Amino acid sequence: MHATDFERRGFTAGVREGFIAFLPVSVGLIPWALVVGMAMTSAGFSPLQAMGMNIIVFAGTAQLGTLPLIADNAPLWLILATGLALNLRFLIFSAGIAPGFRGIGTGWRWLCGHFLTDGSFAVCYDKLMQVDDPRWRLGYYVITGAWSWLLWQTFALIGIFAAGIVPKSWSLEFMATIALIVLLVPMAKSRPMLVAAIVGGGGAVMLRGMPLRLGVVTAICLGIAAGFAAEHWQEKKTA
Amino acid sequence: MNYDASLWLIFILLGLATTLPRASFIVLGNRFSLPPTLQRALRYAPAAALAAIVVPDIVVVSGQIDPVNPKLAAGIAAILVAMRWRNPWLPFIVGMAVLLGLKALLPA
Repeated sequence: MHATDFERRGFTAGVREGFIAFLPVSVGLIPWALVVGMAMTSAGFSPLQAMGMNIIVFAGTAQLGTLPLIADNAPLWLILATGLALNLRFLIFSAGIAPGFRGIGTGWRWLCGHFLTDGSFAVCYDKLMQVDDPRWRLGYYVITGAWSWLLWQTFALIGIFAAGIVPKSWSLEFMATIALIVLLVPMAKSRPMLVAAIVGGGGAVMLRGMPLRLGVVTAICLGIAAGFAAEHWQEKKTA
Repeated sequence: MNYDASLWLIFILLGLATTLPRASFIVLGNRFSLPPTLQRALRYAPAAALAAIVVPDIVVVSGQIDPVNPKLAAGIAAILVAMRWRNPWLPFIVGMAVLLGLKALLPA
C-alpha cells in the first residue's frame, strides 16, 4: 500500500477542481433543460407547476418520460412505475459511486444522492475512488451537483417562457420525443441494449390495447428480460 | 388542459421515485448491496422504458400503426443524426425541420 498522490487540500480546492472538470460536460445540460421546460408548457402546465415539477423531480428523463402519461390522465401508479423505471439506472450508479463517500456524514450523503446525475457520476467516479481527503471529495462532487442544479432550473425557466410565445402549429411537444430519442440512441450501442430497446418499443406498440396502459409496463419488463437474455447468449457465444 | 392539486402529489411522488434510487446506496454506504444479477438486469431498464414511450408515439396515429407519417419520418431523421453526430442541438433542428416540412407538404 502506498499513500495517494493527493495531499489534504480541503473543500475549496475540491470545489475549484471539480468545477473546472465539470464545466465542459455541463454545457450538454442546456438543450435538455430548454426542451424539458418547453415540454412542460406544451403539456399544459402553468409556469408555477412547471417549475414545481422541475425543482421537486429534478430528473430530465423521468420528467420527459412521464409528461405524456400525465397529460393523458394515466393512472398514478403507471406514472410512478414509469418514473421509477427511468430512474433505475441511478440505483446502479449509486451502488457504484457509494464507496467514494467514505468518511462523509449522512446529511451530506442525502444531498449528494439528490444531486446524482449521469454527468456528475461520469466526471466524479474516478476521483472519488482515488482521493483520500473526504472534504476534497465532497467539494469536488457537490459543485458538479450544485452547478447542474443551477443550469437545470435556469434553462428550464427560459424554456417554459419560450414555449409560451411559440404557436401551437409548431408542434413543440415533439421536441420531447426527440429528446428521448437522443438519450436512447447512445444507450442502444451494444447489441443487448438494442434488443432491450426493440422489444420494449415493439412490445409497447403491440400491447397498446391493454387496459390502464398496462402494455407500457409489460413492455418495459419484456425489454429488460430480452436485453438480459441477449447478454447471456452473447457471452455464451464468445466464451 | 387544466390540472388540479393532485398534480402536486404526482410531482412529490415522482420526486421520491427520483431521489430514493439515487440516494439509496450513497446513504446506506457499505451496509447493503444489490445482488449482481439484479444489477446487470436493471441496466436494461432505461433503454426498454425510453423505447416503450418513444416508439408508440411515432408509430401509432389515432390508435392504428401508421408506417408513413410525419412523426415517424422525423423520429427516424433524429435517430440517424444522433447516431452520426455528437452535436446535442442537431437532432432537434433536423427532426423538427422534417416534421414541420412534411406537415406543410402533406395537409391532413
